[in-house]
Amino acid sequence: MLCFRILFMEQVLFKHNRPGRMTTFDEYRSEGGFVALARALAGMSPDEVQQAVIDSGMRGRGGAGFPTGKKWSFVPRNLPGPRYLICNCDEMEPGTYKDRVLLERNPHLLVEGMALACYALGVQHAFIFIRRGYEQAADNLRLAVAAAHGAGFLGENVRGSGFSLELDIHQSAGRYICGEETALINALEGIRANPRAKPPFPAVKGLWGQPTVVNNVETLANIPSIINGGPAWWKGLAATPEAAGTKLFCISGHVVRPECFELPLGMKLGEIIDGPCGGMRPGSTFKACIPGGASTPYLTKLHWDVPMDFDPVAKAGSRLGTGGIIVFDQSTCMVAATLNLIRFFARESCGWCTPCREGLPFVRHILERIEAGQGQAGDIDILREHVRLLNHAFCALAPGAMGPVDGLLNHFEDELQEHITAQRCPFEGTHS
Amino acid sequence: MVNLTIDDKQVTAPKTATIYEAAKMNGVNIPILCHDKKLKPFGACRMCLVEVEQMKGRQIPACTTPVTEGMIIRTSTPDIVKARKMVLELLLLNHPLDCPVCDKAGDCDLQNLTYEYKVDTNRFVDEKFHHEIDYNNPLIERDMNRCVLCGKCARICDEIVSFGALTFIDRGIETKIGCEFEDGLNCEFCGSCISVCPVGSLLARPFKFKARFWSLTKQKSVCGYCGTGCNLTLGVKDNKVLTTLYDENQGFHKGQLCVRGRFGYQFINSDKRLTSPLVRRNGRLIEASWEEALEVVAARLKGGNSVAALGSSRLTNEELTLFKKLMLENVGSSNFDHSAGYAHSALTSGFARSFGTTASPASILDIQKTDLLFVIKTDSYETHPVIGFEINMAVKNRGIKLNIISDKRGKLSKLPGANTFVHKPGSEVSVLNAIAKSILDDKLAVGSVDSVQGYAELAEALKAYTPEAVSALCGLTAEDIKKIAREYASADKALILFPIGQGYVSHNQEMSCAVANLSILTGKLGKEGCGVLCMSEKNNSQGAVDMGFFPRADGMNAQQILDACKNGSVKTLFVAGENPIVSYPDKSKVTTALEAVEFLIVSELFMTETAAMADVVLPACSFAEKDGTFTSTDRRVQYVSPSIRKNSNCKTDFEIFSALISKLGGQTPVSSSLLFSEISSNTDGYAGMTHVSLRKESAFASVNVKPKLIVPKASAAVSSEPGKLAMVTGSALYHSGTLSQFGEGPMHVCPEAYVEMSRKDAANLKIHDKDIVTVSSPTGSLKLNVKVTARIPEGLVFVPYHFSAAPVNAIWDGAPVTMVSLTK
Repeated sequence: MLCFRILFMEQVLFKHNRPGRMTTFDEYRSEGGFVALARALAGMSPDEVQQAVIDSGMRGRGGAGFPTGKKWSFVPRNLPGPRYLICNCDEMEPGTYKDRVLLERNPHLLVEGMALACYALGVQHAFIFIRRGYEQAADNLRLAVAAAHGAGFLGENVRGSGFSLELDIHQSAGRYICGEETALINALEGIRANPRAKPPFPAVKGLWGQPTVVNNVETLANIPSIINGGPAWWKGLAATPEAAGTKLFCISGHVVRPECFELPLGMKLGEIIDGPCGGMRPGSTFKACIPGGASTPYLTKLHWDVPMDFDPVAKAGSRLGTGGIIVFDQSTCMVAATLNLIRFFARESCGWCTPCREGLPFVRHILERIEAGQGQAGDIDILREHVRLLNHAFCALAPGAMGPVDGLLNHFEDELQEHITAQRCPFEGTHS
Repeated sequence: MVNLTIDDKQVTAPKTATIYEAAKMNGVNIPILCHDKKLKPFGACRMCLVEVEQMKGRQIPACTTPVTEGMIIRTSTPDIVKARKMVLELLLLNHPLDCPVCDKAGDCDLQNLTYEYKVDTNRFVDEKFHHEIDYNNPLIERDMNRCVLCGKCARICDEIVSFGALTFIDRGIETKIGCEFEDGLNCEFCGSCISVCPVGSLLARPFKFKARFWSLTKQKSVCGYCGTGCNLTLGVKDNKVLTTLYDENQGFHKGQLCVRGRFGYQFINSDKRLTSPLVRRNGRLIEASWEEALEVVAARLKGGNSVAALGSSRLTNEELTLFKKLMLENVGSSNFDHSAGYAHSALTSGFARSFGTTASPASILDIQKTDLLFVIKTDSYETHPVIGFEINMAVKNRGIKLNIISDKRGKLSKLPGANTFVHKPGSEVSVLNAIAKSILDDKLAVGSVDSVQGYAELAEALKAYTPEAVSALCGLTAEDIKKIAREYASADKALILFPIGQGYVSHNQEMSCAVANLSILTGKLGKEGCGVLCMSEKNNSQGAVDMGFFPRADGMNAQQILDACKNGSVKTLFVAGENPIVSYPDKSKVTTALEAVEFLIVSELFMTETAAMADVVLPACSFAEKDGTFTSTDRRVQYVSPSIRKNSNCKTDFEIFSALISKLGGQTPVSSSLLFSEISSNTDGYAGMTHVSLRKESAFASVNVKPKLIVPKASAAVSSEPGKLAMVTGSALYHSGTLSQFGEGPMHVCPEAYVEMSRKDAANLKIHDKDIVTVSSPTGSLKLNVKVTARIPEGLVFVPYHFSAAPVNAIWDGAPVTMVSLTK
C-alpha cells in the first residue's frame, strides 16, 4: 500500500534526476527547464511572481520555515542602490545533506529558481554562498551557471526582457555559523562571520548595507515549479491540506535506506520511516529521532503519527528544521548522542556572546561528566537552566544547540538520571 | 520623541535611542559589559537583558534594541536577575580571580557586577585559560586570561582610532582578542583599548603596581601637549600624578586620548625637574635662593629695549598676559615673541589679513557636521591625533568625503574613500592658488564674490597659477587640481584643516591666506560644518595669539631677537618655557646668539639645552601645578586648577612674573582670576568669561570674520639637485614640541629621531631599514636611524624635530625644504 503511494507521488525537485550523475543543461531544457523563467519574463510582472510565491504557501526550507513570499515582501522597493539575493548553501548542520544531493543532481533548478527570485525582487547581482566541502556541487553549479549564461538565461538583458542578472558562486571558508544569514553576509563581505544585530533585518540593510534576501537552496529550487504549475497545484503536492509543496527529507541512522527523498510535506513520521526508508534495520526498534537537523529536539515513538510539516512538528515540541532526520534505535545512549551534537555546536560557536561561548562548552563539560559516570545531583537542574539561558544568546545558534538537550530533558530524563545514579552509562558496551 | 514605560515609570526618549540609552537618560542603570557610548552597539555580553511586555515577556538585549512608542520595559525582574547572575557565573568560569594583584580591581565592571549581583558561589567549575601575557611593549599589557570578550578594544581601535591592531581570532571558547599573526601589540599606543577595557585584560604598564584604584584622587585637567584641548582625568596619589583615567563624559572627545595625553604625564613628577633657582657664578650654575635669583633678574630687566623675551605657548593665558605686561609696562620693551616667530604667522599675519581676526573660523565640532574635509598635510593626524580620531569617525561613520593634499601619504590616506594628492614639497601655496584659479575659471565661486575686497587683485594675480602651469612644478596633474576645486566648491558643506607649528615652516601666512581665499571664494564660511581650522601646535598656541604675545610693528620677532642677541643690541634675553636650541631652526645660529647675549634668563621645568646656557635658571611649574586658562585651537577656553601641590621651591610663571613686576615697582595682580577678568574684557571674543564660569563649563571665544581676498605669494620652487633628497621636517605622532621627551610613554615608543625615506630611494642608495646614516645639509650633518616606509614619495625624506639628542635644526636652517644627502 505504502509503496503504491510513493510511486504516484509527484516530484518537482528530483523529477529531472539521472541516476549517479548530474542532469545536463540540455536534458533539463528538454524536460521543460527554464520555461518558467521565459514565461515569467514574457508575461508576468515581478509582483505577480512574488504573489505566486505568497499564494503557494511556500515556507523557507532552510530550517526556520519563514514564509518565503512574506520575506520577499519586506524588501523596500524605493531605496536607492542595488538589492541582493543570496542563496544560502552553507549546509553544515549534522544530519542535513539535502542541498548537496540537489545540487549534485540538478543545479539548473537552482539557477532558474534564483533567476525567477531575482526578477521578482529586482535583483541584478545574486550570490550562491556554498560550503567549502561541497566541491562537486560547486563544480556542477559552475557548469550550470555557464550553461545558463550561454543560453542567454543569465547576463545582460535576459531574452530581451530588459532584466539582467549576474550570478556569483562564493565558496565559503567553512563555518557552521555562516549558515546564519547575517553571519553569512559578514562572511561574504570578507569580515569575520559573526551574526549581526537585528533589526535592521537584511531585507532592509544587508549585504554592503543594501536590501538583501537570503534564501535556502531548496526554497529557491522550488520557484520554477510554482510558476510552472501554479501556486494552487504546487501547494496541493503536500500530504495534508495545511502543508504546501514537497520537501526533501534526508535520512540517516538506523534505517534500511538512509537516503534523501523528495516527499509530500505533511507525510507522517512513521510513514517516512516505514515507507521510503524501508523501515528500521533488522534487529532495531525505533527509539527516537531528530526530525530536522541537529538543532531540533528529539521526537519519540509517541510522535510516530505526527505529520512532518512545520506546525505539527512544532506542536510536538520540536521543529521540522531542514528535514534532516536522524533515526536512533534502542541501543543508542541519548546522553552520548546529545553530547556528540553539543560538541559540534560548542566548537562552531563564533565566540561572540557570553551564553553561547561560555555556556555551550560548559554544557558539553557536564554531559561529558555524566556520560563518564561522574554526574552530580544538581547537573539536571543546571542543564535545565542552561536551556533557558542560552535562549538569550545573540543569534539562533545557541538556542538551536540546546534543542537536543531540551529533548533529552523532556523525553529521556530517566535515562539521564540513571547515568547519574548508577555513576555509569547504562549503554556501555552496547553502542552500535 | 517616543513615550515608554521603564520600570513602571513613564518616560520619553528620542526615536533613535536604544532601550539602554533611554533607560540611562532617565536614570535607570542597566548593567552591561560590552557597551561604550562612543562605539556601535554590540549586544554580546548579554548582561543588559530586559523584558519588554510587547515581546511576550522575552528577554532581549537593551543595548541593541531600539525603543518604540508605548514600549513597556522591565529592567530587573527575578527572571532577569537570574539570567544576569548566570552570565556572570559563566564569565567567572574561566576568569582568573586574581583581583588582589590586578590593577583593575576597584574599577572593574566584572568585579562590580559580581558584587552587585551577589555571585558569592559559582556552581560551575571549569579550567582557567593559560594564555601567555603580552609584555612585548612597554606601555600596554595584554592579559587575555582576564578577557570577557566584550570586543570594546578591537572596536575602538577600528571604529575610532582606525588602526585595527586588535581583532577577534579563533572561535567558540577559544576565541580571544589578538594582534596580527598572534604577535605582540605594535600600534600607535594611544591606549584607547585600555580606556574601554571593562576588566584587567588591558592595563597601562607604567601604572602597574603603583596604586590601588580607590586610593587615587581623580583630578580634572586639560592636556598640556597639543592644541586640541583634550580634557584629562589625572589619577593622583601622595601628590604624584600616577596615571590618566578614562571618563567617557569628558570633553568633546568623550575621554578619548592619544599616546601623549594618556602616557606622557610622567614629566610632571619627573625626578629631573628643577627644584631650585640657579645663578651662574664663576661660569657654573649654583643653587641660590629665590630672593637672590629674582634680585639678579630684576636688575637685568631694567634695560628697556635691550631686553627681549621668548615665551612658550604652553604658558597659561594669565601668565602670557602678565609676561607681556612685564615687558611692555615694567621693562619697557616690545621685543617679545613665541614659537620661533613664524609658527603663529598663519594666524597673526595670515588670518589677520584674510579674516580680520587671528583665530580660526571653524571648530573641531564642525568635523562631524561637514560633508567634505579638505586636509592639508597628512601630518594633521600626527600633530593632533584626537582631531585625527574625529576625522576617522566622520569618514567612517558618516561617509564624508576626504581630500588631502600633502607632500607625503599618511594614516589619513588609508581611510575609506580618502584621496591623497601628493605634491612636491614646498609647493603648497602654488597648489592652493591653482585650486583658487580653477574655482574662478570653472565658475565655481559664489556669485557675490567679486564684491569681496581684494577680488580684482586676486583674480589678476591668479592668472599665473593656471592648473596647467602649477602642475609642472607641483607634480599634480591639472585634472587633479581641477577635481579638488570642483569637489570642494560643489560640496554643500566643506571644511579645511591644516596644522601649524615649528616643524611646518611652509604653513605660514601666505598659505593661510591661500586657504582662506578658497573658503571665501566658495562661500564656505560662517556656516556650520564650513570654514577653516588652523590647528595650532601647542596647548595654548591660540591663547598666546589671543593674548597678543607676539611683536607689533615696533617690536622684534623671535628671529630678529636672536639676530639682535648676536649683534649685541639685545643684552638680556628672558626665555620662559621655550627650548630654542632644540626647537628653533638653525641650531648654530641659536647657539651663537645665546652665547653672545650678555645675560640669559630661563624659566623652565627641566635643565634643557637652553637652560644650561643661562645666567639665571628659575624652576617653574607644569600645567598640573597651577591654575589658569588655556585656549584650544578652536578657541575653546578651558580652566585648569592645580591637580597636585607644587614643589615648595618652585614657582609658577605667574608668580615669577608677579614678583618681577613688583621688584620693578609695578602693580601686581591680586590673583590670576582677577587678571583673567581683565583679559576677558580686553580680548576679542572672551567677553563674559570668568574663572568661575569656566570652572563649570568651558566656553568658546567667538570669532568675528571680515573676509578679504589676499594675494598669497608662493615661495620659489625648490630645484632638485642630483644625488640629493628633499628634506622636510614636522611632528612625529608620539611627540609634541620638546616637552614630550620628558614623558616616558612617548619616549618608550619613539625614543629618538629618525629619517624616514621611500623604498625606492633606499634601494638606490643601498640603505636599509634601521641603518644609521649621516644626513648632511649645507648647515651641518646628523646621524639618524633610517625608517623605510611606503608613505614617503621618491625624492623626499622626513625628519621629526622634537629631539635634543639628534636635533634636526643641526641640518635645517628654517627653509621649508632642505636638500640633503644621505651616506652610510
